[in-house]
Amino acid sequence: MSGYEWLIGLAALVFAPLLGGFLRGIDRKLTARMQGRIGPPIWQQFYDFFKLIGKARAVTTKGSLMWVWGYLLLTMLAVYMLFAQRDLLIIFFILAFAGACLIFGAFSVRSPYSHIGAHREIMQMLSYEPILLLAAVAIFLQTGTFKVSGIFEHDGPLLLTLPLVFVAVLIALTIKLRKSPFDISASEHAHQELVRGVYTEYSGRFLALIELTHWYELVLILAFVALFWAQPLWIGVLLALGVYFLELLVDNIEARLQWSWMLSISWAAGIGFILVNIILIELVFGNVLRL
Amino acid sequence: MGLVAKARVKSPWIVHYCCGSCNGCDIEILACLTPMYDVERFGILNIGNPKHADLLVVTGPVNRRNVKVLQTIYEQMPAPKLVMAVGACACTGGVFHNCYNTMGGIDKVVPVDVYVPGCAARPEAIIDGVVLALDKLSKIK
Amino acid sequence: MAGETLIAILILLPLATAAVGLAVKDDKLRRPFIILPSMALIAASVLLLFRVLDHGTITFTPSGTWDPIILILELALLAYFLYLGVIRKHVLVLGLAGFQLALFCLLKFAWLPSGFKAQPALHVDLLAVVMCLVISVVGSLIVMYGLNYMQNHERHLGLTATRQHIFFFFLVGFLGAMNGLVFANSLLWLFFFWEITTLCCYHLIRHDLTDEAEQNAMRALWMNLVGGVAVVGGMALTYQASGTLSMMELTGFGTVGPVLLLPLALFCLAGFTKAAQVPFQSWLLGAMVAPTPVSALLHSSTMVKAGVYLVLRLAPAYQDTYLSAVLAIFGAFVFMVTSLLAISQPVSKRVLAYSTISSLGLIICLAGINSGLAVAAAVALIIFHAVTKGVLFLVVGIVEQDIHSRNIEDMEGLTARLPVISGLAIAGMIVMLFVPFGVLFAKWAGIQAAATPFSEFYPLVVVFLAVGSAAGMVFWVRWIGRLISNVTTADGPPAEVRREPRASVPYLVVFSLVGGAVVLSVLAAPLVSWLINPAIAAMGYSPALDTAGWYLTTPFGSFSPWALFIVVALALLLPALLVKARPEEVMPVYLCGVNQPAEGPTFRSIADTPAAVETGGMYWTQAFGERSLNTWVNGAGIVLLAALFLGVIM
Repeated sequence: MSGYEWLIGLAALVFAPLLGGFLRGIDRKLTARMQGRIGPPIWQQFYDFFKLIGKARAVTTKGSLMWVWGYLLLTMLAVYMLFAQRDLLIIFFILAFAGACLIFGAFSVRSPYSHIGAHREIMQMLSYEPILLLAAVAIFLQTGTFKVSGIFEHDGPLLLTLPLVFVAVLIALTIKLRKSPFDISASEHAHQELVRGVYTEYSGRFLALIELTHWYELVLILAFVALFWAQPLWIGVLLALGVYFLELLVDNIEARLQWSWMLSISWAAGIGFILVNIILIELVFGNVLRL
Repeated sequence: MGLVAKARVKSPWIVHYCCGSCNGCDIEILACLTPMYDVERFGILNIGNPKHADLLVVTGPVNRRNVKVLQTIYEQMPAPKLVMAVGACACTGGVFHNCYNTMGGIDKVVPVDVYVPGCAARPEAIIDGVVLALDKLSKIK
Repeated sequence: MAGETLIAILILLPLATAAVGLAVKDDKLRRPFIILPSMALIAASVLLLFRVLDHGTITFTPSGTWDPIILILELALLAYFLYLGVIRKHVLVLGLAGFQLALFCLLKFAWLPSGFKAQPALHVDLLAVVMCLVISVVGSLIVMYGLNYMQNHERHLGLTATRQHIFFFFLVGFLGAMNGLVFANSLLWLFFFWEITTLCCYHLIRHDLTDEAEQNAMRALWMNLVGGVAVVGGMALTYQASGTLSMMELTGFGTVGPVLLLPLALFCLAGFTKAAQVPFQSWLLGAMVAPTPVSALLHSSTMVKAGVYLVLRLAPAYQDTYLSAVLAIFGAFVFMVTSLLAISQPVSKRVLAYSTISSLGLIICLAGINSGLAVAAAVALIIFHAVTKGVLFLVVGIVEQDIHSRNIEDMEGLTARLPVISGLAIAGMIVMLFVPFGVLFAKWAGIQAAATPFSEFYPLVVVFLAVGSAAGMVFWVRWIGRLISNVTTADGPPAEVRREPRASVPYLVVFSLVGGAVVLSVLAAPLVSWLINPAIAAMGYSPALDTAGWYLTTPFGSFSPWALFIVVALALLLPALLVKARPEEVMPVYLCGVNQPAEGPTFRSIADTPAAVETGGMYWTQAFGERSLNTWVNGAGIVLLAALFLGVIM
């Protein structure tokens, strides 16, 4: 490789929030359009962000503030590593650590709403974590390496040989993007039984930090989707945008499900699809490690 | 006008508290969110959590049971924050004026920035009220 | 010092200390009697490490007088098990002990030629030294911790006559037996030490002499006797097939070629019983009735590690066989189901027990995958698991003596009450769970090794590993969540912050273990290049981990422990130091506006009476409870074992 991966990684750290915020703005606009509304301006997320920065500090407990920073910084680390084309497994492990920081933040204050949210967030992790790890394994079977750089060196798009893995990843991403029917830990749309779940006790600039982290996460997730068609990458980007639109559509037509549904759907369908795909690789497409 | 001040005007999140209204005004507030009026155009979100909110929208005459709740919700909003009284009851007590168990208007309990009269207040009036509130918000340094 | 002397010290010193300590019944006098030999043991193990690193493997046969001594002791031990079966009227123990004794006598006196010796008796390579370090360092630290713990324990029980001398007799003796076990090359010697660990385990579990303790000790005894029978049976078959009882020859170093798989399968079965794998997990879960140092010792450095050590030690012998493939599935299966079962456990020690079993399952799985990468990961996991699990058990012991409960629910908000010890607990759990620490490095390498198509069943193994590692996240994260869930009020933390004896022996032990775990994690790359790679090379595997630039690089990926550690430490510690909460900014939690001004979150309940907010952990008992899963788990475990043996026999 060119040796400039670290530069791409750093550039991603700068531009990811801009792109993420913009995409979230599109999300709100499209959602509004699907509901027959005009919707907020595209830049709405940035207005929200800066407004939250300007609010007075209100603290329920110091611990929760600490963990929010951990959530943000570790997610940034994962974004950097993905764009610098490092080890996919390590990226997912770091992402899990970041997610755990969010949970710790919610746990560190004795508030019923954030505790319910935290427990549900744990269940979300249990649901999507195996799928992400197994997706990394399936990609490995095609590229022969866990490094993201290996995907770019691989001939032909991954989507053609990993179609079922792609579907499984979509299920996991619905959970990770906190979209209906799996937005169970923090209800994307406020004013429900959980209030705001894990975010309930955050306010002002710390809520802004969480929002910022979501932008990073969004870019990370879409970048991962784009890897399924890495050559040429513009198709991958279109693919990622298409997936994002699909997620929005599902978000708008689905109601929230219980955690047990989420777990059984993501495990039965997600892991099942990946297993079938791995068997397909062995029987039809060919495992690169056996060559 | 600084970035934050500009953003404030563009993104008022509201928390709505009904302290004993007949639900007429509540329905009208919800109507504001519908495609017909769509206040999200202005970045307004009905957020349901005082800790995230900038604008407290109150309906109904506050009574002796829920006065503490109203106060707590107001206290839990981080500054800068505004209060909007929607409907005749919230403004003055309305038909419950001088009733033994009501306080007679929420301004007896929390400082009110905008009064939106009407029984029930029309969505257009509520949106007008929000615009007034935003005007006031933009002057906060 | 000569290697032979060090080996003799490492085996005999604990045994001698145990024997002398039996006469010491005074608490004050006992301290130097325990602490000094423990220190000597640590020093000897480190010296042995340098000795083996410099001069290579030590093989050594003690003088001929030892053989009859060991034989007599061995027979006495087996007879004692038989006696236990008789006086406790326990049919299983009676039958197994009798069978074992008969089989052993047959083997020793009928099948083996008289004067038969497996040469050399002791064989100390780097894998044995790694085990010895784990046993001697972590084990000794736990023994030292036990001094204070047992004083408190007996005070709490209100005993009039101390039984500590008996306790330390078995506790310290255990270390000697374990060292002997890992050094033994002769399977006869190995069997001897194997049975001593069973004996020590039995007595330590029943130490408190309650009905429950007696019962659980008997269960541990019979399950381990199954393992003992398997070892004797394995020995008999090995001898018949190959005419040797030397581990070195068995693993392909000597003259004998590949031997029959059945004795190896039997040795693995013995390993499963020691390592409490499904369906034998109940003895380790029952072992938590014993005082905490026992649990800590059983789970981290001794006993269960003997089981995985045997499986791992024999790995070169069954490479590329059916046995290896089934071991991988079995281990991964245990890893997954015990992690899932742990989700439903509110009792801290049971959570730890299940997580131990699951880690051991992972080690067995890695031994089954049987590639250089997998075995390196297994060795790393043995080291890191011993240290972190030691920390967690010792912490739970300290907490239990303070709050008089071992339930995770009672540990809610412990960071406010016992900040130092709960901080150490959280550090231990983070080391157990997250990147860039050692346990996760082993998981990372493990998933990579499992994803290489080592057998037809690798997709199954990978799925088990992925689900298991996600399930592990659930119970650790929830536990940390319960520990940190506390209340800050405007006047600072709640008043009941306890003064903790930071300079006492237990705290120092925990500090040093946590420090050791973190340092070893950060220096994982030098550790691999310096110790683990040579260790697996000595076992006959080609090292798969490259450590250039202190990065850990496999053929398939790379991992930079120190760089990640710096970022993670900054991400977590900087905010902790820089984020300040001024008292005027403190705001009570959101309770729909019905907050009542009081200490902690309180809301106005019926008739304006204040009610404190209570929060609890979710355990998802319906989905992951023992009641709903145990039948399936045990059934599947037995089926897998049956498949293992059927396939091996066919």
